[in-house]
Amino acid sequence: MKKQTIILIAGILVGALLLTQIMFTVDQTEQAIVLQLGKPVHPNALGPGLHFKLPIVQDVVYFDSRILDYDAKPEEITTEDKKYMNIDSYAKWRIANPLLFYQKVRTIPGAQARLDDIIRSQLRVSLGRYTLIEVVSHKRSEIMSNVTERTQKQLLPYGIEVVDVRIKRTDLPTENASAIFGRMKAERERQAKQYRSEGEEKSARIKAQADKERSIILAEANKEAAIIRGEGDAEATRIYAEALGQSPEFYAFKRSLDAYRKGLKDNSRFIFTPDSPFLQYFQ
Amino acid sequence: MNWDWDKLQKQRQGNSGGTPPGFDDFNEQFKKFKNFKLPGGKLIFLALGVLWLLSGIYIVEPDEVGVVKRFGEFSRITTSGPHYHIPYPVESVLTPKVTQIQRIEMGFRSMTRNRSVPFRQGQERGVPDESLMLTGDENIVSLQFIVQFMIKDAKEYLFNVMDVEGTIKNAASAAMREVMGKSRIDDALTTGKQEIQASTRELMQGILDSYKCGISIVAVQLQNVHPPDQVVDAFKDVASAREDKSRLENEAQAYANDILPKARGQAARIVNASQAYKEAKVRLAEGDASKFLAVLKEYNKARDITKKRLYLETMEEILSNPEAEKLILSDDALKKSVPYLPLDRIQRGKGESTNTKQ
Repeated sequence: MKKQTIILIAGILVGALLLTQIMFTVDQTEQAIVLQLGKPVHPNALGPGLHFKLPIVQDVVYFDSRILDYDAKPEEITTEDKKYMNIDSYAKWRIANPLLFYQKVRTIPGAQARLDDIIRSQLRVSLGRYTLIEVVSHKRSEIMSNVTERTQKQLLPYGIEVVDVRIKRTDLPTENASAIFGRMKAERERQAKQYRSEGEEKSARIKAQADKERSIILAEANKEAAIIRGEGDAEATRIYAEALGQSPEFYAFKRSLDAYRKGLKDNSRFIFTPDSPFLQYFQ
Repeated sequence: MNWDWDKLQKQRQGNSGGTPPGFDDFNEQFKKFKNFKLPGGKLIFLALGVLWLLSGIYIVEPDEVGVVKRFGEFSRITTSGPHYHIPYPVESVLTPKVTQIQRIEMGFRSMTRNRSVPFRQGQERGVPDESLMLTGDENIVSLQFIVQFMIKDAKEYLFNVMDVEGTIKNAASAAMREVMGKSRIDDALTTGKQEIQASTRELMQGILDSYKCGISIVAVQLQNVHPPDQVVDAFKDVASAREDKSRLENEAQAYANDILPKARGQAARIVNASQAYKEAKVRLAEGDASKFLAVLKEYNKARDITKKRLYLETMEEILSNPEAEKLILSDDALKKSVPYLPLDRIQRGKGESTNTKQ
C-alpha cells in the first residue's frame, strides 16, 4: 500500500515532467520557432496555441509577435535650405520572419541597433532633400511614407517588417528658435503698429468727413438764406415801386418832408429871408 | 526539478545522517509525508479536484469584457456576468476595461496626478518639450491638449501592439505636429481650434488603426494654446492695438456724431433767420405802401391845401425844436452879416443851413 502510493505519485510527477518537455504553449502575443539541435524544424513560425516537440533534442525560441516600438533619440539634421532642425522620430515594427530574425539579429536590442542605423540614415537622406518648411508642413506625410517604404525594403532581409516610421517632433535648435521668436515678435509689433495707424487713419477720415459735411451744411444754409433774403428784398422793392409809382411827385414831396424832419434836428441853424414862403404871413 | 527529484530519491535510499545540511528540512518534511496516514486520502484528492474545477469561475464586471485564451491562443470574448473557463493551465482570462474613457495629457501634467488629492483645474505643470511646436508659417506655438480614448477592440488591444499607451502618446505627438505644420499660428490661437482638434483626432485614429491596436480616439481637446513665453507680450500688444484701433474709430465717430447735428441746427437757424428777414421786409413794404396809397388818395382830393398843410406841419415840427437856431435876415443884411456869423458853427452846419427855400 505504501509502496504503491509512492510509485503512483512518482509516476504522476515523472509524467508531468515529461509532458512539460513535450508540450509547449505559445501566447497570443508570441510566435515561436523550434530548433532541433540548432537546426530549424519548420520553415515557418508557430502561432499561438498548444504545440508538441521532442524532448531534449528540440528547443523552442519565442519571439514577440506584436508591433514593437522603436523610439529614436532626437537628432539634429540639416535641411535642403541649410537649416538645422531637431527631428524626433519613432518606428513601429514587428518580427515578420522569426527564423531570419533569429539568424540575423537574434534579439530585440540587436534589431533596434539595426533599425537605428537604417532609419537614421534614411531620415537624414530624405530630409536633406526638402526645405525646413516643407518638412514641417505639407511634405511631411510624403517624407514619412517614403522613409517607411525604404526602411521596409532594407529591413526585410532581417526578418523585420517596418510598419510605420513617423516623425514625432520637429523642433528648431535653441539658437534658431530664438531667431524665430525674434521674428515673431517683430511681426506682431508690425501688426500692432498697423492696427494703431489704421485706427488713426480711420479716425482722421471720419473726422474729416464730418468736418466736410458740416461745412457743406452751413454753406448750403447760407446760400439758401441769401436767396431768401434776396427774394424778400425784391418783393419789397416791387411793392414799393408799385405803390409809389402811382404818384412819383407826391412821393418825392412827402419823402422830402420826412427827410427834412429827420435830417434837420439839433445843431441846425436856419436863416430865413423875408421872401421865404414860410414867412409869407410874417411880414 | 529533475535534479531535485533525483536528490530526493537518493535521500530516500540513503536515509541516514550523511546528508548535506541543506536537505535536513526537506528530509524531515518528507518523512512526515511518508508516515502520514490519511484515512480519507481519496477525499482529499477529490476536494482538490473540485477546488481546481471551481478556480475556473470568473466574473466580468459591467465595464469589462472577458478575453479567454486557451493554451495561450485567443479563444473567445465573453460579456459581463459570471462565466466559466477550463482551469489553469488550459485556459486563462484577461478582463480589460473597455467602457472606461482614459485620458492622456500632452504638453502638461496635472499636478494632482502623483498625489492622492482630487483633481483640481489649474494645478498643472507645463512640459515645454511636448508643448512647443512649429506651425506651417514658421512660428512657434505652445499647445497643450488631452486625448481621450477607449478600447474599441479588446482582442486587438491586448495582442497586437506592445505598450499601447506609449503608442497613443507618440501618435498624438506626431499627429498634432503634423496638423499644426499645416495650420497658421493665428488659426491655432483663434478660430481654427475646432478644425485642428477634428483633424488631429482623425489623423490619430488613422495611425492607430494602421497599427491595429484596438483603440478608439474619443476626442482630442486643446486645453491651452498660447504664444511661447518669449513672445507673449508682443501678442498681447497686438490685441490691445486692435482695441486701440476701434477706440480711435469710436472716438472719431463720436466727434462726427457731435458736430453734424450741431451744424444742422445752425443751418436751420440761418435759414429761418433769412425767412424771417424776408417776411419782415415784405410786410414792412406792404405796410408802407398801403400807408402811402391811403395818404395819396386823400392828397389827390385836395392837392394844394394838403401840400401846404404837410409843408407847414413839417416846418413847424422842425422849427419847434428849441435847439435849432433861427435867424431872419433881409437879403442885404444877409450879405453884410456874413462876417458876424460864428464860423465854426457854419462850417459844421453848412449842409443844413443853406437853402431852406421851398
